Amino acid sequence: MLKISHLSKSFDKVQAVNDISLEVKQGEIFGFLGPNGAGKTTTISMIAGLLKPDSGTIEVDSMNIQRSPQRIRGIMGVVPQDMAFYEELTARENLRFWGRLQGMSGKDLEQQIQYYLNKIGLKGREDDPLKKYSGGMKRRINLIIGLLHNPRLLLLDEPTIGIDVQTKMSILESIREASQKGTTTVYTTHNLFEAEDLCDRIAIMDQGKILAVGTLEELIQIVGEKDIALIQGEFSTDQAQKIISQEKGIEVITMKHGYLAISLDASKKIPSLMKSFFNLGVSMDDISLKQPNLESVFLKLTGRELRE
Amino acid sequence: MKRVLLLTGKDFRRKWKNPVVIVGFLLIPVVFTFLFGIIFGSSEENVLPSIKVLSVDQDQSLFSRLYLSTLTQGELKDMIDLQSVPTEEKARTLLNKGKASALMIIPSEFGDKIWAGETTQVLLVKNPSEQFLPQIAEEISDTTALLFSALFQVFSEEIDQIREFSEQSEIPDQIISSLSVKIKDRIQGIEKYVFPPVISLKQITQKKDSESQNNSLTVQSYILPAISIMFLMFICNIVFEDLLREKEKGTLLRMSISPLRISEFIWSKILAAVIIGVLCSLFLVILGAVVFSIGWGRTDILLLIVLCLNILIAGFIAILYTFIRTERQAGALLSSVIVVMALLGGSMTPISSFPLFIQKISRFTINYWGLEAFKKNITGEPMGQIWPIVLGMLGAGIIFAFISSLLLRNKLKRGLYR
Repeated sequence: MLKISHLSKSFDKVQAVNDISLEVKQGEIFGFLGPNGAGKTTTISMIAGLLKPDSGTIEVDSMNIQRSPQRIRGIMGVVPQDMAFYEELTARENLRFWGRLQGMSGKDLEQQIQYYLNKIGLKGREDDPLKKYSGGMKRRINLIIGLLHNPRLLLLDEPTIGIDVQTKMSILESIREASQKGTTTVYTTHNLFEAEDLCDRIAIMDQGKILAVGTLEELIQIVGEKDIALIQGEFSTDQAQKIISQEKGIEVITMKHGYLAISLDASKKIPSLMKSFFNLGVSMDDISLKQPNLESVFLKLTGRELRE
Repeated sequence: MKRVLLLTGKDFRRKWKNPVVIVGFLLIPVVFTFLFGIIFGSSEENVLPSIKVLSVDQDQSLFSRLYLSTLTQGELKDMIDLQSVPTEEKARTLLNKGKASALMIIPSEFGDKIWAGETTQVLLVKNPSEQFLPQIAEEISDTTALLFSALFQVFSEEIDQIREFSEQSEIPDQIISSLSVKIKDRIQGIEKYVFPPVISLKQITQKKDSESQNNSLTVQSYILPAISIMFLMFICNIVFEDLLREKEKGTLLRMSISPLRISEFIWSKILAAVIIGVLCSLFLVILGAVVFSIGWGRTDILLLIVLCLNILIAGFIAILYTFIRTERQAGALLSSVIVVMALLGGSMTPISSFPLFIQKISRFTINYWGLEAFKKNITGEPMGQIWPIVLGMLGAGIIFAFISSLLLRNKLKRGLYR
């Protein structure tokens, strides 16, 4: 459904997207995971045809986005980060407007509006102006506007920022349902749990590059069966290096003054590691272990935690 | 076109639901017209308010009282509200407080000088904070002084005789009888010129009929269109502010990922601005006709003027938006341009009061051409004089709209996705 080949984009001297390639199948929920500035939004805006790539191609349903932008936009839906609707108008008026803009009309449109209003629990409030809605209700309307015309490709740019758990679950449920109906979803997030929970496949992005692509299981294979240990204390890199060199089976992910991230078999190696620190007279303030998950994958791939 | 109409309908609905600002802008021309009507008058009977004049009679003679009494006789009684004040100091205090339009001081030797046949004068002090009423008081005083002088010249011989005998303790009956006969003869001599007057002034107030109503330019029929053009520009700006607001809010981004073209989005704003502008104009036109009895002239031409004027305004404001990046810039630049154009274009002061070189600059303003078109239709000018203005406004509006749609398209696309 979506094919990206050697896509690059830079702004002035900043390389926002650097030679990325990937394919997304029909009905798949594909996530771009990465910190702010990783290049997720730039990638999604090029898929939407809003930004012209410096190089590379994007094909949606075998159509080139630059040659047939209007046709592709007709089968696309988008849910931006901002609440992109008109607060003076009611929910029904908003949905009618956005539906008609996508070419819907008559009975089909009214039925679809009714279906979604029921589904997200806004029945009875549909004729209230959106400015009277709570933040969560507005988020749900924001999502429905993107889903209303049953798009074949749905682009979601961090649609769950700053909302309550109940609304988040409702939004994720609607995305899954659309996927089951055949909608291909491209989803950007920096929330690891959301990505693990929702996405069929995930691309981990950082500094404009895709570091790894795969299912959750495939990505976890990158760190293998090993745990990740994060150690903080008052030690220099030389001292840390000296301790690590004495131990076998430890792989350094990041080493900074007072901070050490390593991959190891925690049950076997942690006691001897602590002993080495003690023998060297180095104080350890904190040690935390991470089981193999997306967070540890990201840490392993980038050398830093996603929240940094 | 379907999508342009869809977007225009959406904009219209949004403004309809939140009409406070537009209604505010519509009320200002109405209030201005109402106030100007009160200040300058407009009704068929121009009733002048009575002019309050203070008088200080420092002479207290027969002549000074006679002079002052002439100001409170006949029709002058309705025009002048003469109030006697004992001292000049008190009178000047009252004048400074704005309690009167003028102060008349009769000097202490007024009567003696007249009696002696010498020239004397009456002092008139005008209230500097008023413009019109003191001027009228001055005119009336001038005329009274002239009549008074004329009267003394006509009866100068008789007055001389009375003066000769006035120093005697007793005037003989024969002299009094002779003077009476002379005065009677003198009056009879001038009677045929004075009673009835050879020339009399007949005051007629022109009654308005439907024909002449269309041909008269009143204070209101000038002020209402003049101020309205200025505020129609502000109303148009409210519609165009959405260009930036929709970009900021993300609705434009969402529209961009739909079959809609950016140019359709821009044209929808231009169309919305024209429609809302025309509806507001028609509201003001109807209000002007009903409340201020403005005869707008031929209806078909009026509608054409309203349409073309609003196309010109929409095109012009759209052009200005090609230079604007933020709402704050829009507020500052647009307000300045609109107010300066209103000043130069005759929305605030009639262009005829400007120096010639400014009158030439006025021709580059929307206000000038809009006002010219309205004025010509109100005064019933032939179509040949109105057509060029209407076509000029239409042509310029369309050209502005096309240029702005091209320039705004690229501008709006830039930075759409942050």
